[in-house]
Amino acid sequence: MSLPGEWLRRLQMLFHRRQFRSDLEEEMRLHMELRQEQQIEIGLSPEAAFSAAHRKFGNTTRIQENSYMTWGWEWLESFAQDIAYGTRAMLRSPALTVVALVSLALGIGANTAIFSLLDAVMLRSLPVREPQQLILLGHGEDNGNSDDRGQTDLYSYPFYRQLQQRNAVFSYTAAVFSVLNAVHGTVEGRTEAEPMNVQLVSGTYFPTLGVQAPIGRLLNDADDNSEGDHPVAVVSQAWWKRSLAKDPAVLDRKLKIGSTIFSIVGVAPAEFFGTEVGKAPDIWIPLSMAQAVPPGWKGYKDNFSEALYLMGRLKPGVTTAQATSNVNLLYQQIIRSFPDANLDQRNLEKLSKARVPLTPMANGLSSLRREFSEPLQILMGVVALVLLIACANIANLLLARSTTRARELAVRQALGARRTRIIRQLLTESLLLALVGGALGVALASVANRLLLRMVSGGLDTIPLDVSLNTRLLLFTLAVTIATALVFGTVPAFRSTRLELTSTLKAGRSSQGTGGKNPLARALVVSQVSLSLVLLVGAGLFLHSLVNLNNVDLGFNKENVLRLQIDSTSAGYSGDTDSVRELNLYHQIEDRVSSLPGVKAASFSLFTFHEGSWNNNVIVPGMNVDQNIDVKHNIISDGYFATMQIPLIAGRNFGPQDTATSQHVAIISERMAKTMFPSGSPIGHHYYIHDVSPENERVVVGVVKDVKFGDLTEAPETLDYYPHTQYAWDLGDFEVRYAGSFTAISTTVQQAIHSIDRNLPIADVTTLDEQIARSITNQRLVSQLSAFFGLLAVFLSCIGIYGLMSYVVSSRTQEIGIRMALGAARFDTGWLVMREIVLLVTIGIVIGVPITLMGTRLVANMLYGFQGTDLASLASAVILLLVVAVFAGYFPARRASRVDPMVALRYE
Amino acid sequence: MTAGTPRNSDLGDSRDEIPPGTLYLLILKTLAVRGKLHGYEIADNIQRSTDDILQVEEGSLYPALQRMLIKGWVTAEWGITSGNRRARYYTLTTAGRKQLRLEVSQFERVMGAITRVIQTV
Repeated sequence: MSLPGEWLRRLQMLFHRRQFRSDLEEEMRLHMELRQEQQIEIGLSPEAAFSAAHRKFGNTTRIQENSYMTWGWEWLESFAQDIAYGTRAMLRSPALTVVALVSLALGIGANTAIFSLLDAVMLRSLPVREPQQLILLGHGEDNGNSDDRGQTDLYSYPFYRQLQQRNAVFSYTAAVFSVLNAVHGTVEGRTEAEPMNVQLVSGTYFPTLGVQAPIGRLLNDADDNSEGDHPVAVVSQAWWKRSLAKDPAVLDRKLKIGSTIFSIVGVAPAEFFGTEVGKAPDIWIPLSMAQAVPPGWKGYKDNFSEALYLMGRLKPGVTTAQATSNVNLLYQQIIRSFPDANLDQRNLEKLSKARVPLTPMANGLSSLRREFSEPLQILMGVVALVLLIACANIANLLLARSTTRARELAVRQALGARRTRIIRQLLTESLLLALVGGALGVALASVANRLLLRMVSGGLDTIPLDVSLNTRLLLFTLAVTIATALVFGTVPAFRSTRLELTSTLKAGRSSQGTGGKNPLARALVVSQVSLSLVLLVGAGLFLHSLVNLNNVDLGFNKENVLRLQIDSTSAGYSGDTDSVRELNLYHQIEDRVSSLPGVKAASFSLFTFHEGSWNNNVIVPGMNVDQNIDVKHNIISDGYFATMQIPLIAGRNFGPQDTATSQHVAIISERMAKTMFPSGSPIGHHYYIHDVSPENERVVVGVVKDVKFGDLTEAPETLDYYPHTQYAWDLGDFEVRYAGSFTAISTTVQQAIHSIDRNLPIADVTTLDEQIARSITNQRLVSQLSAFFGLLAVFLSCIGIYGLMSYVVSSRTQEIGIRMALGAARFDTGWLVMREIVLLVTIGIVIGVPITLMGTRLVANMLYGFQGTDLASLASAVILLLVVAVFAGYFPARRASRVDPMVALRYE
Repeated sequence: MTAGTPRNSDLGDSRDEIPPGTLYLLILKTLAVRGKLHGYEIADNIQRSTDDILQVEEGSLYPALQRMLIKGWVTAEWGITSGNRRARYYTLTTAGRKQLRLEVSQFERVMGAITRVIQTV
């Protein structure tokens, strides 16, 4: 009895079942004829023989069916029948089918898409060996103050080496430079420089992660043991594909970055994107080469150049608590042991309070996560509610449909259909609906998550993130919707197949679940209304918040400013080694661009807006002010305030009199003036950045209005500005105030820059307005999507209300007819229906309001510009819901008022 | 393993039911002795060789034959009868012979047991 053979035979039979049936029939006919002949032989008349043979044989159809069923395919046949029947039933009421399918598709699609993104940003483990053993020192914050001792997120290279040698808890320790170096490098043999994202890592980085190279080798500790001696690079699979077209001789290729030639020694695995989610480096270079990679970090031997994230792989059996105590002990010892440690009173105090928290690094680092985890969680909640509403809708539609089909089912039962058979058929129909909806949902999700990723990227290059559909959640959502369809498709099936056949057949459409007795459907509508209210109010809050953000007073004029980045270091300029040459370049560009038609002003700066910061503590002699206040610095060219239209409040702007050799000057923000120089005018006062030494002394020559610097929601910052003539630095930002068309100006400005040096890489050309919009990408994402889903929820609820009411009206036609015959006015019958709608919606709103208020508290962090509940949002949501519900109910109500009493009564 | 439950015949002849589970055995044995047979011949042969005591119900025979086809104990092919009519002939396969030995030994064991019970009473 070989099973495969048995199944093979069964399958053969399935494909030849028509042949099978005719064979069987012929075989049995022969049998009967032979039997008949035999009866004649023993003396019966042909007629008697015929009937005897038939009697003996019994019901041939039945025997055939039994024989056929032996092969075990009858379920398939009836399933196919059910599918065909179900499809026909769905096509008979296309509106209902479309609504159900759209609800399902949106519910499933939106949930899967958002969760896929959430998963990629927050939940997925790094594709490395045993990621749960990886530990990060600190929280992965990347903005420390360079003066503070006792900060615990970023570390120096010597600290890393000390920790690596002295710790007892990590089997591997690695360091990663805290930012990607966005450089323009050249593949040897080419002339065009191309943008490359370089990640500087310690040699132990890849061994710590346990990643293996598919081609060549990855970096190792030997590449990192002496500064400047190891020009080697590992490239990412994506870069290898994009830039080298998967050249198999990749290990013979070389890269010129800055002025150094790097040899490619290996290609990283395809799935490996580094350790920061949403940042995929193209190239990994050992930290020993940091100075060669623009902008040229010089901290390899500096005990206090703290720019590295440190991570370790826990030794087997070591707990996080043990690791924490060991690391903290070493932290104090190592920092205090550095000979150049400035252990003054203030630093010692800070140091003694410092605790290094250890954070699991299984999911990698991510600034993306900080920015988007809350919005994504909110959106996940929103789409989950939408899914609930969609499920309620399907439930309602199926309930209504099965009730109107009660008569059909009764007829079928009366004709001999078994109850199980009818239930199975209804199940199949619901399943069909759920599966088609599910398929549409998957299709939608695969489009939606790409769209979503583009929204998250906020107009920049799409964030390198793998947002392929999350199968687990997809299956979960599918299961939920299928279960809904099955439960609500068959609950009525059970109910209607249990009914008293005769009464249903007699009473026609009025007997089953008449309007008054359908609490389930009503409860569903009420809950839909409540959930819609929650979503609508949420959407209102986020939109309100977004409007507030857009109306924030920036302190500068964001309109009509083009900004771009010039990577002068990649083109061989350096503020470090030849500041005069770089300064000349800046002056030339500024002059040439300023004289272009349509350009009103142009300037260079270190920062504009939302670009990070460089900050120190300042010391103001003779002023009793808090010395722990961070002052953020910006380095600018003379035209900056004119270009940005930041008003000068007191003193003067920078000018030609401020040279490298003249008195070092600064312009400070209003807030800094008030904080640091509380009494009198600050003009002419001196202060020191970092420490009291002559080269750090500045004299205040002007005060400008406060501006937003880091983000739109911050309080006014203590800012100061230095002239670039006195502070040699590679300024990347170039701003142009223009009139006329952006595209035209953009082209002429870039041409002008290239006419001065055609090798200057230009990147990130956009408007200042767009740059500001990017800083609130997360708020925009939440408000746009929640508005979309809020309206969708209202739409779905309306369909729910419309469906329920249409059904109520049609099932109460008789009652309405009697009322009218007894003299009720048309208006009253219409009101009968409207009254019910208003009641249901009101109940929904009453239930929804407290839920909404609770929900508002959950999202308070994401809101800007108002406190607590926003009554306007709440009121408008309530009104919108009522209006739309009344509109949805209007059509069934009108139908009710137009019932002709005679027709209604005669119908019975 | 259920051999279609033979129902009581309504012809009123003195005929006994085929004991449950033995229909396969009877069909297998008949085919083993006679070689190629069609459905009617199988039924007829069983009836004759038991002196009309056991009558095979058509209602059980055809489903049983289908089951045996699925199991691979028999194969079927179309042929021509002596009366020059098309008929489907069943032949025993190797698996069928093996099954026959199995069924026979099983039957004998059960029969022996039953006999022992009867004789002790």
